[in-house]
Amino acid sequence: MELWTRTLLANAGPVLEGLRVTMSVSAIAFIVAALVGLAICFARIYVPPLRRLLGAYIAFCRNTPIFVQLLWVAYAWYDLFAWPTDVFTAAWVALALQSSGYLAETFRAGFESVPDGHVEAAHALGISRFTTLRRIVMPQMLLTIAPSLMNQFIVVLKCSTLVSVIAVPDLMFQAIRLTNIWGEPVPFFTFVAVVFIVLIVSLSAISKKLTDRVHARLAA
Amino acid sequence: MFDLSLFWDYRVILWQGLLINILVFVLSSGVGLAIGLLACVGRLSSPAWLRRISAGYIEGTRSTPEFVLLFWVHSVMPVLLSGLVGMRLHFNPILSATIALGVVSSGYFAETFRAGIQAVPRGHIEAARALGMTPPRILRRIVLPQAVRIMLPELMSQNIGLLKTTTLVSVIAVPDIMYQVGIISQQEMKPLPLYTGTAMAFFIVILALTSLVDRVSYRLKRY
Amino acid sequence: MKTASAVKQPNEPAATGADTGIDAKSPAIQVRRLTKSFGVTEVLRGISFDLPKGHVLSVIGASGSGKSTLLRCLNFLEEPTSGDIAIAGHALSFSTDRRGVHHRPRSAEIARLRADVGMVFQQFNLWPHMTVAQNVMEALIQVRKMAAADARGRVEQYLAKVGMFAFAERYPSRLSGGQQQRVAIARALAMQPQIMLFDEATSSLDPELTSEVLEVMRTLARDGMTMVVVTHEMGFAREVSDRVIFLHEGLIDEDGPPAAVFSNPKSERCRQFLAKFLG
Repeated sequence: MELWTRTLLANAGPVLEGLRVTMSVSAIAFIVAALVGLAICFARIYVPPLRRLLGAYIAFCRNTPIFVQLLWVAYAWYDLFAWPTDVFTAAWVALALQSSGYLAETFRAGFESVPDGHVEAAHALGISRFTTLRRIVMPQMLLTIAPSLMNQFIVVLKCSTLVSVIAVPDLMFQAIRLTNIWGEPVPFFTFVAVVFIVLIVSLSAISKKLTDRVHARLAA
Repeated sequence: MFDLSLFWDYRVILWQGLLINILVFVLSSGVGLAIGLLACVGRLSSPAWLRRISAGYIEGTRSTPEFVLLFWVHSVMPVLLSGLVGMRLHFNPILSATIALGVVSSGYFAETFRAGIQAVPRGHIEAARALGMTPPRILRRIVLPQAVRIMLPELMSQNIGLLKTTTLVSVIAVPDIMYQVGIISQQEMKPLPLYTGTAMAFFIVILALTSLVDRVSYRLKRY
Repeated sequence: MKTASAVKQPNEPAATGADTGIDAKSPAIQVRRLTKSFGVTEVLRGISFDLPKGHVLSVIGASGSGKSTLLRCLNFLEEPTSGDIAIAGHALSFSTDRRGVHHRPRSAEIARLRADVGMVFQQFNLWPHMTVAQNVMEALIQVRKMAAADARGRVEQYLAKVGMFAFAERYPSRLSGGQQQRVAIARALAMQPQIMLFDEATSSLDPELTSEVLEVMRTLARDGMTMVVVTHEMGFAREVSDRVIFLHEGLIDEDGPPAAVFSNPKSERCRQFLAKFLG
């Protein structure tokens, strides 16, 4: 107990700061990935010439290990594009890159799950294609894939632990740093593990509740 | 700047690194499948306490980031065990990697096993019972053949994921391919070709494996 | 049973029927040489008929005869390969020339037409993320550009008409099939179309629920709506229609008033088809 007070509680400041960085890099990466994924999904549907190119992009994002992508973005992109210039940006860019591929496919599955009949009913009433997309297709799409979106966020959260390797001061980085300073791995690493487990189990429980409510709403 | 000849120059050491990735993959997959099977059996067994513990284990391991567990197994477990055993323990990095990745994947495998078994239609089992077949025979002749067919695609897919995850192990000083790439890039001061080449190489290999798995899955699904 | 004059001949204009601003003498629907192919498969091979305002046309036939396709061509959910269709005051032509180039009307024209033609589907197709009232209101706001308050009044009026007023704030997943279909009818009616199309509206319903929907359709016909009904409910067709068409392999095989078609069909195929239902 004394060990824990000496190490963990005494360093509560940096640890919490690390948690904040973890959450913020995950949130930014997820939002960017969702926007990019949505754009790609619709581009593949409505702009046929782009289909193969975007398909290759999705394949690359999904099949390349996240760690490899992270180091590639952090260390190689600067030589090519002179960007990103800081590690935090490299971190969320790499995470967003990986997730955008998965999310593009998730959005596509959601889009295809909206029954044709619902779209036909809208057209039969004279509602324009764009309005049908906006008012009929997208709401159902988002309802259907909400659980998948949550799961993907959980994946991003788990992958965010890697960014400590490129010196982003997230929770894991702080744990490693403090362990090196104090020479006590047990409290720091155990705390980090517990934080993540609790966080992710909670998010999963929410996701499950969401799934049930969505099924109740959409089941005809 | 985009000097891919570096790849060729260092091919031996890069290849050796890759072999380490494959080694870690094989070991942790084995561990994961074994533990996963046990966890699944526990999850589906009769005593409620066993079911609860198994479910808790599965949920917990699926919720732990691999990266965190890598460090925990490598740094914390030796300390805890040292206390028990009374000697200073130090884990071989490959051992730590095997345990950590094995434990995380065991949770995912356990769920896949469970889903496969529970996907066998209840009616098939009832028909077997009505014909007077005993539970072990039912399991062997009716449930498992179908369950295995169902779970194979997902298991293969999860193993490809595990292969991708082995790229993490360089952080606890396992001399895998990423470890070597890191050293070489630093020495040569040319990160671009190596990291790009590695990304491309992994992309091609994993894509090939994924396509293969898709093809096999498709044929498995067609009865 | 129509309350207006005695048996109407197919080409005689109706005396009753909603005033739509079109010349009362012109038929509500005119179809000329309608064909439809899906790839190499010819589903409709030359359909022509007129339907006066206020009349009810039943389309019967075996699966694959092209009944649904014909109906869906009338509001252009399927685009005809060739032919002319004049419906609800809009005249549209389709053709595919020798080089395979398909000539069609502009999307805006088609959209305008759809606002005047209502359709009820076999699968109801109510939007699950909206309440009953929102379902009925959606097109009024998006297409007729009504203000929400005005739309609300119309929604309540038409829900009451189909007997679903009390369910306005419910979600479709909570309703039985018959209730959902009645809401779907209200949704189409609220647009105040000149013509209503019914695509096997009761085929997905359990037998107990079929009658409540047929009753709504019967009332509509009595009130003078021009209707085209694809159906397997022969009793309903016989009782409510002014005219029956029997389709066989994409062509009209039998065409006449219900009494003639059901009791004394000239076509052998039609006779055999009816025997399965009534024999």
